[in-house]
Amino acid sequence: MGIIEIYDLYFKHKPEDDYLLKGLNLEVKEGEILALIGQSGCGKSTLLSIICGIIPHIRRGCIEGQVKLMGEEVKNIKIKDIAKRVGIVFQDPDSQIFLPTVEDEIAFGPENLMVPREEIGHRIQRALKAVRMEAYRYENPNNLSGGQKQLIALASILAMEPSIFLFDEIMAQLDEEARRQVKKIMLDLNKAGKTIIFVEHDTGALDLAHRVLELKDGVLRELKGW
Amino acid sequence: MTKELKLDPRTKLIIVLCFSTLGVGTNQILVLFFISVLALIVAKLFKVDLKRSLGKIKSLLKVLILIALVQSIFSPGQPLISVGNFNLLTIKGLEKGLQFILRMFIVIVSVTIMGTSTYREIIQGLVQWKLPYDIAFMVALGIRFLPMIREEIQDSLTAIQLRGIDIKNIPLKERINIYSYLFTPILVETLIKAERLAAAIEMRGFRAYDSRTSYLQLKLKSIDYLIIFLSLGLIILIFIKIYT
Repeated sequence: MGIIEIYDLYFKHKPEDDYLLKGLNLEVKEGEILALIGQSGCGKSTLLSIICGIIPHIRRGCIEGQVKLMGEEVKNIKIKDIAKRVGIVFQDPDSQIFLPTVEDEIAFGPENLMVPREEIGHRIQRALKAVRMEAYRYENPNNLSGGQKQLIALASILAMEPSIFLFDEIMAQLDEEARRQVKKIMLDLNKAGKTIIFVEHDTGALDLAHRVLELKDGVLRELKGW
Repeated sequence: MTKELKLDPRTKLIIVLCFSTLGVGTNQILVLFFISVLALIVAKLFKVDLKRSLGKIKSLLKVLILIALVQSIFSPGQPLISVGNFNLLTIKGLEKGLQFILRMFIVIVSVTIMGTSTYREIIQGLVQWKLPYDIAFMVALGIRFLPMIREEIQDSLTAIQLRGIDIKNIPLKERINIYSYLFTPILVETLIKAERLAAAIEMRGFRAYDSRTSYLQLKLKSIDYLIIFLSLGLIILIFIKIYT
């Protein structure tokens, strides 16, 4: 049994639209790194939103088929319970950073999950060290560059320590060194048994994936020999 | 150089509440002037950059001055300046205008004092005063949204100007037309941003449990207690003086 299972998934944003996802099937095993590629607008980000329950819990859409997370149907799991298992980093850092200091931003998730105060302190330190942003702990995230904000958004999810990580083109705004760092983080997470699904346009990042899937015409097909 | 005064946000809230209450609760120009000076001194102690803060609300200041002038001109009473039978400025009018300006000044300076704490600190202060976290957080998030909308409007205006429309030098009617065209995309973009932000907040476990831990813990120090005591003492003293 996979940690994520999708059977015959059909999705469209509005009833009058064409289907964006057409009978999509996917099984992700625990501890797997999966890369999703595909042209812009093909539905990669939508698929991530469906896996983590943003659709249909927060955003609406016409969804058919089964999406299971750890054996439970996502539509039946409350979003707050999904947040304990899945961490998602979005493409646009500005829409996921909302607190006045980097420290507050990283602490927000663990605070909501009732992590003891002392442990939150350790997690903040570990997350900042992982993204090499220790020097910015007390900075206002709004004063940081796009790439730095993205690293803080990543650190915020790392501090929540979920079992599954979803990364939606998080390397797009990063420089070469930061990309290497993010790849290292992904490998370290994988060594710790975490499952990762990442969407990426840059083929240079695909080498760390166990499987690369291309989303085309609403279905997934495995790419071999990329 | 004055050393910055580091106080608990709750102490600042009490100071601001005292100033605002005094500002609203009295009509005496001397008292209002005294509170204004006091507010300025406190702002200075908190290292508030008043010039910068006032610069940010330049347009609002113009409106305030205009309101004060209108209030001065249209108030009846003993004339100071008259044109024929028409009293242009009366003593009562001048008093009212001054009262209004001083009151607004007190409120603005008070807000800038609160601005020396981050809104996370203010939320924590309110939560430690037993205000539900959800409410405090949502209010703070709402405040964070205002500059975002302003930025959105500014970006849209810049985009229009880059297409060759000099918005400052076109007739008012056309300008209003352009603003009406901008309204829909700005509204839609703001709603999209709000939805994305809501998704990010939910995915970070917001309200996952009935309660939550807090990494930031505020503790009132002796200086906080002293200042709270002095502020409350001052407000009581001034009110006794005014009403007896």
